[in-house]
Amino acid sequence: MATLASPAVSEAFAADQLPDFSTDSYKDAYSRINAIVIEGEQEAHDNYISIGSLLPDQAEELAKLARMELKHMKGFTACANNLGVTADMPFAKEFFAPLHGNFQKALAEGKVTTCLLIQAILIEAFAISAYHIYIPVADPFARKITEGVVKDEYTHLNYGQEWLKANLDTCREELEQANRDNLPLVRKMLEQVAGDAAVLHMDQEDLMADFLTSYQEALMEVGLTSREIAKMAAAALVG
Amino acid sequence: MFGLIGHSTSFEEARAKARTLGFEEFADGDLDVWCSAPPQLVERLQVTSATGKTIDGAYIDSCFVPEMLSRFKTARRKVLSAMELAQKNGIDITALGGFTSIIFENFNLLKEQQIRSTTLEWERFTTGNTHTAWVICRQVETNAPRLGIDLAQARVAVVGATGDIGSAVCRWLSQRTGVKELLLVARQPQPLLDLQQELGGGRILSLDEALPEADVVVWVASLPQTLSIDAENLKSPCLMIDGGYPKNLDSKANGEGIHVLKGGIVEFFSDITWQMMEMAEMDNPKRQMFACFAEAILLEFEGIHTNFSWGRNNITLEKMDLIGAASQRHGFHTLGLTLPSDPAPADHTQPALTPA
Repeated sequence: MATLASPAVSEAFAADQLPDFSTDSYKDAYSRINAIVIEGEQEAHDNYISIGSLLPDQAEELAKLARMELKHMKGFTACANNLGVTADMPFAKEFFAPLHGNFQKALAEGKVTTCLLIQAILIEAFAISAYHIYIPVADPFARKITEGVVKDEYTHLNYGQEWLKANLDTCREELEQANRDNLPLVRKMLEQVAGDAAVLHMDQEDLMADFLTSYQEALMEVGLTSREIAKMAAAALVG
Repeated sequence: MFGLIGHSTSFEEARAKARTLGFEEFADGDLDVWCSAPPQLVERLQVTSATGKTIDGAYIDSCFVPEMLSRFKTARRKVLSAMELAQKNGIDITALGGFTSIIFENFNLLKEQQIRSTTLEWERFTTGNTHTAWVICRQVETNAPRLGIDLAQARVAVVGATGDIGSAVCRWLSQRTGVKELLLVARQPQPLLDLQQELGGGRILSLDEALPEADVVVWVASLPQTLSIDAENLKSPCLMIDGGYPKNLDSKANGEGIHVLKGGIVEFFSDITWQMMEMAEMDNPKRQMFACFAEAILLEFEGIHTNFSWGRNNITLEKMDLIGAASQRHGFHTLGLTLPSDPAPADHTQPALTPA
């Protein structure tokens, strides 16, 4: 059978080694990545509370999800403190601005489907895949916290999936439009942090591929066919 | 349910396939797009055995293409993600086709059981190598005599003798077929010596030394791009079984008396209407497939939900007997040479596999 070149293997193992958490370059990159995570959790909290205003009968459950996000935010703040890093929050606010704007617009228009796609599917799928890739290269303190967080995020993803699945007949069109409007933003966000993520030994291609895998899985659960999903996913990849 | 994990033979072919299947957006993407693309469950199908039993299956394209071989992390992720997708779809036994099992073994992915939130259950997967080895041996046994080669008097060279399939082929040919002499060719000396000891015979030779002596050559190693075979130095007749992947031996060895047969390929007893195989490099894609794929189908027919072929050098003659008997029972035939004296093939039109 084919024998594959061994140099590729050794290079890859080198890339899997842990970074030096104490260097200035690591801390500098971490100040932005960590801020994105903190801001993301804060916005997730706010978004779930907001979605509760559109779905009053589920407001209680959504408030529960929101509380979990605040707990995560505190955990990630502790991670920064542990490394002696100050999170660059202004950067993170700007980073989320386009997605934040789209969410607020959908909220004002009462578009539950769009709000759920942005928060409970796109952002959660992105978070889950990024956390999975971060865990093996995280410092021991952050690793433990992130492992706890990622379990919770599946609950949130599941919430979005279940609602969209139950309402698929009426929300399909809006779902596709929301995907077209927002998936390219996620890709741009990913490209924007690729350099910092690389310093943390998180590979851009891995991030994109794992995100698309999580996203595809979520849409599959919602009840879309693999062709519909491939078409939707292509919005992020092509063009 | 059985599963098959496959991939396209080139990036260009992958794009063409994507277009045909209605994934136009992916078809337009460049190689980087394909590197990030998740695996796709592209087809569900049913298969009906010669015994009448019907089973369900699925074809998963890993979205890997050979152009990604030099990208270790990409290749690793493609294989593991495709396996994850198979498991998440509840597929009981999935064959790792083409480069999938090669990447799995060479990159030692046994260490990578955890992928995201999924712990891969190895018992759901098979390399399909046991069936491939059995098919190759049967191809030697049935085709050599048709060329006038008496196996009891023949020297059979096995190129890639120490690999998982190669060592199983050596074991079978020496203990079951009874060839005059095995010529053992492989890159690493120590595994060759170990194999020779295990077999209690066989002569260790370099490729250049072995070829002129061989009546039959079984190739189960990939061929280096630079390999050239001088037909003048080969015996006539010479049966060459191309059991490697990809199958490109016919472009390297041709001439009077040289008969190259695609190794490890089986033909089902009736037509298959799956879309995926239409694109594979089979002469009769409605019926032919890699023996490793067929192994997953056979294990599902037999209700054997276990990693039947797994790891290296675990293929026993008993396992080859078992899978070989199942192969015949359920309606698979090994691919044979087409000789000028052969009558035209009969036309079978009864469909046995229909998309679900």
